[in-house]
Amino acid sequence: MEQRTDADIQDQSPQPTKWDRSAIVRLKARFERQNWAGVLFLLACAVAFPMLPGVEGWQAYTVALVIIYIIAAQGISVLVGFTGLVSVGHGGFLAIGAYTSALLTKYFETDIIIGLISGGLMAGFIGFLLGLIFLRLSGAFMAIGTLGFAFFVGTVVNNVPLFEGREGISLPSNKVMFWEIGDIGFYYVSLTVLALVTLFSYCMVRSSVGRAFMALRDSEKAAEASGVNRVLYRTIAFSISAFITGMAGVLNGHIVNYISSEVYGDIWYSVDILVAVVVGGSAVLMGPIIGGIFVVMLPFMLEELADFAFILKGVVLILVLIFAPAGIAEVLGRPIRNMRARLLRQAGYGGREPAPAETTSVAAAPSQTEKP
Amino acid sequence: MASHLKCEEITVRFGGVVACDGVSLDVEEGKIVGLIGPNGAGKTTLFNVLSRFQEADAGEVYLRGQPVNKNSTSQMVNLGMARTFQNINLFAEQTTLDNILIGAHHLCAPPLQSMLWMPQARAVERELTDRAVEIAEMLNLESELDNLAKNLPYGLQKRVELARALAAKPEIILLDEPVAGCNEEETEELQNIIARLNRELGITVLLVEHDMSMVMSICDYLYVINFGANLAQGEPADIQTNRDVITAYLGEEV
Amino acid sequence: MLGQQILSGLATGSVYALTAIAVVVVFRNTRTINLAQGDFGMIAAFLGILFIKEFDLNYYVMLPLVVLCSMALGVLVERIVMRPIADSDWLTLFTATLGVYYILHGAAGWIWGRDTKAFPVTFDAEPVDIFGALISQGHLINMGWAAAIGIVLFFFFKYTKQGIAMRAVTDDPETALLMGIPVRFIVLLTWGMAGFLAAFAGVLLAPIVYVSPEMMDEVLIKGYVAAVFGGLYSIPGAIIGALMIGVAENLAGGYLGSHFKTATAFVMIVVLLTFRPQGLFGIQKRREI
Ligand SMILES: Nc1ncnc2c1ncn2[C@@H]1O[C@H](COP(=O)(O)OP(=O)(O)OP(=O)(O)O)[C@@H](O)[C@H]1O
Ligand SMILES: [Mg+2]
Repeated sequence: MEQRTDADIQDQSPQPTKWDRSAIVRLKARFERQNWAGVLFLLACAVAFPMLPGVEGWQAYTVALVIIYIIAAQGISVLVGFTGLVSVGHGGFLAIGAYTSALLTKYFETDIIIGLISGGLMAGFIGFLLGLIFLRLSGAFMAIGTLGFAFFVGTVVNNVPLFEGREGISLPSNKVMFWEIGDIGFYYVSLTVLALVTLFSYCMVRSSVGRAFMALRDSEKAAEASGVNRVLYRTIAFSISAFITGMAGVLNGHIVNYISSEVYGDIWYSVDILVAVVVGGSAVLMGPIIGGIFVVMLPFMLEELADFAFILKGVVLILVLIFAPAGIAEVLGRPIRNMRARLLRQAGYGGREPAPAETTSVAAAPSQTEKP
Repeated sequence: MASHLKCEEITVRFGGVVACDGVSLDVEEGKIVGLIGPNGAGKTTLFNVLSRFQEADAGEVYLRGQPVNKNSTSQMVNLGMARTFQNINLFAEQTTLDNILIGAHHLCAPPLQSMLWMPQARAVERELTDRAVEIAEMLNLESELDNLAKNLPYGLQKRVELARALAAKPEIILLDEPVAGCNEEETEELQNIIARLNRELGITVLLVEHDMSMVMSICDYLYVINFGANLAQGEPADIQTNRDVITAYLGEEV
Repeated sequence: MLGQQILSGLATGSVYALTAIAVVVVFRNTRTINLAQGDFGMIAAFLGILFIKEFDLNYYVMLPLVVLCSMALGVLVERIVMRPIADSDWLTLFTATLGVYYILHGAAGWIWGRDTKAFPVTFDAEPVDIFGALISQGHLINMGWAAAIGIVLFFFFKYTKQGIAMRAVTDDPETALLMGIPVRFIVLLTWGMAGFLAAFAGVLLAPIVYVSPEMMDEVLIKGYVAAVFGGLYSIPGAIIGALMIGVAENLAGGYLGSHFKTATAFVMIVVLLTFRPQGLFGIQKRREI
């Protein structure tokens, strides 16, 4: 399919002889505007949702749950998608956020905003430490290390008296400043956090920091040769990721006004967040949104059949990996991307096809030894 | 003239292999210095030591007279040193423009400002992008700016590496076989570019290259190493007639 | 007291070892961190109950049957799930096994329910006295089985054609393929072996911890940690790691309080990964860029 369109374009418009970058820059700016328009439209829908006739508190509550998962997944995608590190232990950060805020609320009667900030900071700080500890790890070792971290957090909340184990901590109803909020108020708080986190992710990915992350992902050696401080940026990635997921944890605790180790001591919770990113797609901002919806809504729709939902989740996960390895967001976005790619190519962007095999770098490399 | 980059008695062992065996060299500021030697002589290993990719078992490296053995790899860019790799190391999934921009990483605003899109950071970003485009134009890469690095032919990939190194505004640049695998035309073009960098921007160049005609015509001074040890040094004309060097290369490629 | 702690630590460790060996074997031949390893064992334990209770089979008839079923499960997973994505990066492989984990978990919960079940065969509660250290018979029997399996594996890898071929695939899959080793079959065999080891882990653990969909979760984590001791590569390293975790955990539980027991493995892995990321006995893998 793609092959054919490429050939067509080459027929119609051969590579422009005169190099004109401004056309590409203009086109890209246009796409950017279209993206923003789309995002703003979604946001407007989300803002309007609770005001629709017939929408009740519990529906807002359900959507808020989805939003919380999306936020958590956004946290993990900073790591998995953009930095090339894998964490199977983000449930640990969720727990840290949730417990930090819950304890503050219980003992100091703080409101949810202070909870969000302190829970996020606490998780971010632990993420910073974890990033330092696991500095030399990558790939499978990193996965096991982070899984061990989630397991450790689970053990702590199960056993340390402060966290009240399976008994759990009950929280008073939620407050923003001094006003109590209900389900719909909570929905708006979650939505605000989601909007801020999305905006932040967007800016971060398109800044020198995001570029450094992706450089580390693609080639650590070349990144270091270009002055990217590996230690610094890995820990930054870990901290940001943990901060975002920690805030999701705060919301996750407050939405039901109750937290216990029943939920946060379960390491598979961690793995669920990773699933959201893998299913949705990790290196696109839409990925966590789609993945979050998938992970939350699936068991919700099949509430009566929890075990069946488990099976279905496994089957869908495997099918996605086989048929859409880059995630559902990538598949859904394909038509738009193809169209844009065509417009860009007509303007001279990415005109070059993969080089023929015999001239690619590996074959032509004169020396056999592999070193920096 | 002042010494720009100097190393003394560098020794590197890989298990039983002694890749560098007490190599010393001294690169004068503003010069193009060549480092040559047969395959496996230890040139790349020495480069790795100079750019802090490889810990030396013994010996010392000085940049403008300051020892750098405590610096991390990524700090070398801040000290004005950039390098390219013999085996291409690009960010394959990113465009040429992004590849060049990464080279300017240390000129970007601090992380926090940068990711929050503070106005200063955005201004720096725009400026760096403009400069990246200028560098691309200088290296005749402008029509490749929006192509993914992995799709470029080998010769252009080498040039993108050079562009990335230049984006760091280096004072000294280490090039590991910049024209290997290029055809004559490309070689000539690159040779001119390197000469221009040196002449117009005053960048000191340390160059490893097997293409002798290029080395001889472009370098101000040459070091020859063999089996990890210094074999000879001098002006290209002297090296060309040096008996030891000819013996070392005999049966090799010249 | 100390001897006793160590002995029962070794007994727990030997079940971890069975899991750790499987994790290592699968990882080094297929780059897959198998999250479903524990659940293979869980399914085996449920099947054990089924065979004994519903079909009235003797323990020693049940065991080979369960082992066969479990191996078949491993093979099935390879054929259906893993083979289509065999060339993907390790994260894809890893998440695919997570999919298998969900399916097995859900299936077990659906068919057999979520509550814990007692395994119909239990061991004599009367502890045995070994040089003054008391140990339950169940633990002793587990150690015996684990040791026997260890010896069988040793001979398998050392002397059988398949075992040697498996090691060849570990060292260099491409060369192995060129040498005419049927790599696909070996990968299948690898998953079969994972099922084999899981069956024993599940059935041996069942009388001690009761049977439930979650019964193997903790064992799996410990198995991973142990596998990292061997650098995800060395089987002896993984076994030693598993025994060390079993003992350390028991000592921590005995002397510091049971709170510390479960955290031990994490502390060990943090120390290990911080100071020797390639594992205590791991070798530096060749890296081609
Ligand atoms: N990481 C390593 N591990 C083991 N041996 C190495 C390593 N790197 C280099 N060597 C060995 O050190 C010696 C010097 O290699 P080096 O690459 O520095 O030579 P070179 O002069 O750059 O060769 P070429 O002209 O082929 O690029 C070679 O014998 C090589 O095999
Ligand atoms: Mg070399």
